[in-house]
Amino acid sequence: MKPALTLDRLTVRRGGVAVVSDVSLRVMPGSFVGLIGPNGAGKTTLLRAALGLIPAEGQSDLAALDPGARARRAAYLPQARDVAWPIAVETLVRLGRRAHPDRREDAAAVADALSRMDLTHLARRPATALSGGELARALIARLIAQDTPLILADEPEAGLDPAHEMAVMQLLARLAGQGRAVVASMHDLGMAARWCDRLVLMDRGRVVADGPPKAVLTPGNLQGSFGVSGAFLDSPAGPVFVTLPPRPMPTPDPANGL
Amino acid sequence: MSRPVTGPVTGRALLPALAVLCAVLFAASVLTGPADAGARASLVALFRGDGGPLTLVMREIRLPRAVLGVLAGASLGLAGAAIQGFLRNPLAEPGLIGVSASAGLGAVLAIQTGIAATGALALPLSGFAGALVAVALILGLSARSGDALDAGRGGGFGLILAGIAVSAFAGALTSLVLNLSPNPFAASEIVFWMMGSLADRSWIEVWTALPVMAVGWVLLARTARDLDALTLGEEAAASLGVNLPRLRLLTVLGIAAAVGATTAVAGAIGFVGLVVPHLLRGAVGGVPSRLLPASALGGAALVLAADIAVRLILPERDLKLGVMMALVGTPVFLHLIHRIRHGA
Repeated sequence: MKPALTLDRLTVRRGGVAVVSDVSLRVMPGSFVGLIGPNGAGKTTLLRAALGLIPAEGQSDLAALDPGARARRAAYLPQARDVAWPIAVETLVRLGRRAHPDRREDAAAVADALSRMDLTHLARRPATALSGGELARALIARLIAQDTPLILADEPEAGLDPAHEMAVMQLLARLAGQGRAVVASMHDLGMAARWCDRLVLMDRGRVVADGPPKAVLTPGNLQGSFGVSGAFLDSPAGPVFVTLPPRPMPTPDPANGL
Repeated sequence: MSRPVTGPVTGRALLPALAVLCAVLFAASVLTGPADAGARASLVALFRGDGGPLTLVMREIRLPRAVLGVLAGASLGLAGAAIQGFLRNPLAEPGLIGVSASAGLGAVLAIQTGIAATGALALPLSGFAGALVAVALILGLSARSGDALDAGRGGGFGLILAGIAVSAFAGALTSLVLNLSPNPFAASEIVFWMMGSLADRSWIEVWTALPVMAVGWVLLARTARDLDALTLGEEAAASLGVNLPRLRLLTVLGIAAAVGATTAVAGAIGFVGLVVPHLLRGAVGGVPSRLLPASALGGAALVLAADIAVRLILPERDLKLGVMMALVGTPVFLHLIHRIRHGA
């Protein structure tokens, strides 16, 4: 099977500092990859460089495409969520169809994306009159309407209430299950462990761990990259991952008491 | 389902309604003037051509004035919608990129040096030259300062900075010309010219400006689809297939041609490019590509109306169009700020 995304030694320098350093990654169709790491680890920069939106050294097969072909291959949800004009939600979602040549398929794709994001009743509402969570869903609907084999999303769950956060993760997992590839940066490690089949942990521009959630969310990686600890606990719905406060440092001098 | 519900005049009805408004105002403009003739006699003189003085007035004074009003208003309205869409900012106006100030400087230099008196084309051509220099400077400066996506401040940010610099410099040079002008008549001519007017224009101005404006309109029309995608921000637009450097080039060259040509033949007419897109945005559901043609027609209507008003309010005194527009525009601008601050 051909990978949906291939990055080879991708490096982004800003002011002489490598903010993304030597990242090689292959994402296969059907995989939901969670891109995790502390603030400033280089997750957003990696996604931008993979798309070719910023200059980078190394290879990205997406960045090599012309903009139209790339827009049919990969849809991208950036972190910036501001919509400049009071366009209707339906019009916003339709923007995802821009790179597709056949206008006749647009209406069905837009209606489908709206209903998947639970937005059909808001189709005529100006995007600027939506709540933060509704807007986030509208922007994800645009991503779905773009109907690409690869989806790159920068914190798709940010600003959503628990029910819609769950729904978005479930949707991305289902899209992956249907043979698409999804790469999403995220901060909620519990959600990442629950829904992703693969986690890529970044720290200071490098990939420090890559594999199934249980292999990545180890005490050593959690302590080293996030400064927290965590554990997989059993629940009625299967094992769940919870983050926990860092383990207390061993006290070097017992005479000092606590 | 495919057509979003918008304002009172919605969807497909908006453009025809604006076109009818333009036609009515055009007719009113042609029938307005100091030559005191009835509407019927004026129209007969215009269409039949009895060879008398009224035919001359209608065909050589009023008709080119009204045509130029349509061309200038459409250029300013279209350019305003395009620059607001490109910068994603409802407070942007076409003068922001420095083309008006530079075209004005070119024209002022032509008046001061006496070149303007050498032929009917000298003044507009000097204005074009000023606009061209401005475009070269803006593209050169902004390409260096902010081309790549950088924390959400992409090409638009560099363009604003370059435009402010070019505007300020052209304004300073214009003041310098006035400052050092040895000839008070030239100085007063410059001041009046800068106020913007459609009075005493002829077909020569129309035929000089029209080809350049038309190039600008075509370039700006080609930004429409990209401006829609830009509603979601530069990053999302780029990922949707928008070529941002190409879009910036089309926008800057289009505005330079349309507004540069307008300034070269009519002087500085402010507020049209700011106010018209604002007034019509609701009626097109905020969609930038639909705002472009609507603003072009709206701009034409506004300039025609203002040009009728200056002739009706002070028929004896040659009230300048640019002054009239600023007087009307300021309250609308304040209303715009009020609406933005209260999140409407």
